Amino acid sequence: MLSIFSSIPTHMDYKGQKLAEQIFQGIILVSAVIGFIYGLIIEQFGWTVYIVLAGFAISSLLTLPPWPMYRRNPLTWQPVLPESPGDGREKTQENTKKPRKHK
Amino acid sequence: MNTVLSRANSLFAFSLSVMAALTFGCFITTAFKDRSVPVDIHVSKVMLKNVDDFTGPRERSDLGFLTFDISADILCPCGSSCVCTPLFLYLSAEYSTKSNALNQVVLWDKIVLRGDKTKLLLKDMKSKYFFFDDGNGLRANKNITLTLSWNVVPNAGILPLVTGSGRKSLPFPDAYETTQSY
Repeated sequence: MLSIFSSIPTHMDYKGQKLAEQIFQGIILVSAVIGFIYGLIIEQFGWTVYIVLAGFAISSLLTLPPWPMYRRNPLTWQPVLPESPGDGREKTQENTKKPRKHK
Repeated sequence: MNTVLSRANSLFAFSLSVMAALTFGCFITTAFKDRSVPVDIHVSKVMLKNVDDFTGPRERSDLGFLTFDISADILCPCGSSCVCTPLFLYLSAEYSTKSNALNQVVLWDKIVLRGDKTKLLLKDMKSKYFFFDDGNGLRANKNITLTLSWNVVPNAGILPLVTGSGRKSLPFPDAYETTQSY
């Protein structure tokens, strides 16, 4: 049962994260501008709030789940070095540790 | 930004900041409007009595009864003719007596809720509250001024207190228990 949950991909790659941030900021800002102008015309602030909430819903639908479009640039990991005696073992550990920190 | 929770966090925070900026914009666009509108107050009848005031100094005090008409088209804070915020209207009488330089008595009030029409056309209204003076200052008072004022409750920003630009000054009768028509 748990393996089903752990097999669901939840991460985005770096370019995907940047894209997601740009998408939700753009959608919310555009909906805020539209809502403010509409609310100014019909003179009801409530509609401004509703339009911004709609933009919030759309952007959360678009950017919260890790859609495949945010995983197009996977990190290229270093190939596994052949295990060698001595200091070679520490190096491979460092190399594998570094990218994990950012994950 | 790589997990769902961190994305949700930044999305919430950004939306909240945008909403705060929009609320400030709503305040800026409504704060500097001139909300004073012409109000027509017409008093048709004034009756003056001298009765025992059991709430006050236990002496006979002046009590006035007014019948009045009000017509006003009060604009809501955003300018359209239907209210987008509640309004608290009240009619107050101002006069000066020997003992007090300024007396203000609220005679009548009305709450106009969101969605109601603000074009007031009220005929032959009786005052809601007793117009008691704390002495005998109403009899033969030559200048009693009625004004209609209202509080506006906006979505964001300050609570303006607006006074209508029409006011009505009238003299009160010289004798008790007489009805004076205007």
